[in-house]
Amino acid sequence: MSRAAPAIAVRDLRKNFGGFQAVRGISFDVAPGEIVGFLGPNGAGKTTTIKMITGLLAITSGSVEVNGLDNRRELPRVKRMLGYMSQKFSLYPLLTALENIEFFGGISGLAPHDLKAAMARMQEAVPAPVLRQKIQDVPPGIRQKVALFVCLLPDPGIILLDEPTSGVDPEARRGFWNEIYGLKTRGKTLLVSTHNLDEAEYCDRILIIHNGEIVSAGAPDDLLRREGKASIEELFEDAIRSHGQN
Amino acid sequence: MKLRYLVKKELIEVMRQKELLFLMFVSPVIQIVILGYVVSTDIRHVPVGLVNLSRNQVAERVSERVRRSPLFAVRFESRRSADYLDLLKQGRAKAIIVFRDPLDRKRSAATYPEVQVLMDGIDSNTAMVAAGYFNGIIKGYILDDLARRGRGLPVAGRPLFRFNPQLRSINYMGPGIVGFLLTIITMFLTSASLVREKEQQTMDTLLMSRLNSLEIYLGKALPAVLIGLIDMVIGLLVVILWFGIPFRGSLFFLFLASLVYLAAILSYALLISVLSATTQQSMFFAWFSLILFLLMSGFFTPVANIPQPLRLLADINPLRYLIQIIREIFLKGNGIAHFWKDLLALAGIAASLVSVSLLNFKRFISR
Repeated sequence: MSRAAPAIAVRDLRKNFGGFQAVRGISFDVAPGEIVGFLGPNGAGKTTTIKMITGLLAITSGSVEVNGLDNRRELPRVKRMLGYMSQKFSLYPLLTALENIEFFGGISGLAPHDLKAAMARMQEAVPAPVLRQKIQDVPPGIRQKVALFVCLLPDPGIILLDEPTSGVDPEARRGFWNEIYGLKTRGKTLLVSTHNLDEAEYCDRILIIHNGEIVSAGAPDDLLRREGKASIEELFEDAIRSHGQN
Repeated sequence: MKLRYLVKKELIEVMRQKELLFLMFVSPVIQIVILGYVVSTDIRHVPVGLVNLSRNQVAERVSERVRRSPLFAVRFESRRSADYLDLLKQGRAKAIIVFRDPLDRKRSAATYPEVQVLMDGIDSNTAMVAAGYFNGIIKGYILDDLARRGRGLPVAGRPLFRFNPQLRSINYMGPGIVGFLLTIITMFLTSASLVREKEQQTMDTLLMSRLNSLEIYLGKALPAVLIGLIDMVIGLLVVILWFGIPFRGSLFFLFLASLVYLAAILSYALLISVLSATTQQSMFFAWFSLILFLLMSGFFTPVANIPQPLRLLADINPLRYLIQIIREIFLKGNGIAHFWKDLLALAGIAASLVSVSLLNFKRFISR
């Protein structure tokens, strides 16, 4: 039985900022319907890689294919397949949650009745008074929920989440991962970057990135077994140590 | 239409900032009123000293005209000869007017005293204007004197001032202030807009949306156009109602020229926003540009006074053409036949700036 074509195929991807090599020739695949965790410390190259996949950052060399389409040649089509949630949740602080949803839905090309339906859905999940506050005044957990909601408004097949759980409390994080699982059951493909190692257990596979290189990759249990480690933390520290701290 | 969501979002962001609302819609009124008085080139109440060493009655009569003139403020009077230069040095007077009887009375065609005016030339403009005022008083006296005797000058030029009969400098400066204000508000508002999206990382989300680069560009510019036009109406009302400057031309052409100007200035502001990494950088860039635009616009001094090598900067300065057109429309009531060349130049500059700015924006989003 042949394996399904990858949803994301990254090959020998590099990014230089002047003389600094932020990403040093990494390659990996993300299969359709898979949750892949992109683990690494701050500055490892996670955000740079995700931004190159989205086309927001120019590629120095190598290639990215999304559902078989080269993202440099077919960027507009690739963008339509992707949902992207950036590190800072990318919401407009002076707009209310509902206004943010209306805005992002509107610029995503949602028809007015779909937009209304989406806003009604959000009102079922979050109390209306909270949704009518400026987003800068609502708790980080709600902001994260709204950010994920607006990212999903155009109904993308592939979702890239850059540090989605940073700055939120453990309960909100658990709730968030439940939503991620819900998305997987709906057939979505997810690449989630994080530096919270305990989140690796939620992923089908993890990629550990350090200094712009992937130093370990595989299903969490397989990796632990293969490397003879008791925990992801131990695995992570060992992988980083063996590849130097430079 | 996706663009309307971006325009609406921009307007909500502006309306939610009370301080910004004040700066955009109330401070222009304050600025115009203050600027209207401050940038006046009318020179009044020049401090002078009168030194009358003449026994001729004419000296006293001319002195009386100086005393009564609102153009001068007589600070001291004397009938003794002394070193009056000290009074100029001390700054107590800008001019000392000295009347003397001529030494050789036979050579004098009329019985007028000699008049010497010692001027403080440091402020050359005030000195020249004050000297002109004083010559006017002398000339007026002589003409009245000759008329009383049934005589007159064989040739006398009597200037008739059209469009601004009272020669009020505010009539000249006021419409220019409106153009200047339009520039300040829209340039500062727009030069910060894209860079703010970069800082709060919402730019990435905009770029990932279904908006194309032109829609993002227009979405940033259109709210500023709307705000700029509202400010323009406020500015016009203030200069017309507060300062009583007559509006003689066509509102249609005024707004047409303003729209072409806004295309130029907003493209420039968006270029600043694309090139700046932080809001602080964009503010410095905008401020520096604003000063240059103002100095090269003919707002304070005529463009013809700008040295030739720097004239090119004035020639590509959109504010220069807007101020020229506003003055033509406002004061003279001229139609497009009189300023089509300025409008064409402004449109050319606008087209160039839009192209450069849009290309840079496209390059920025595909970096």
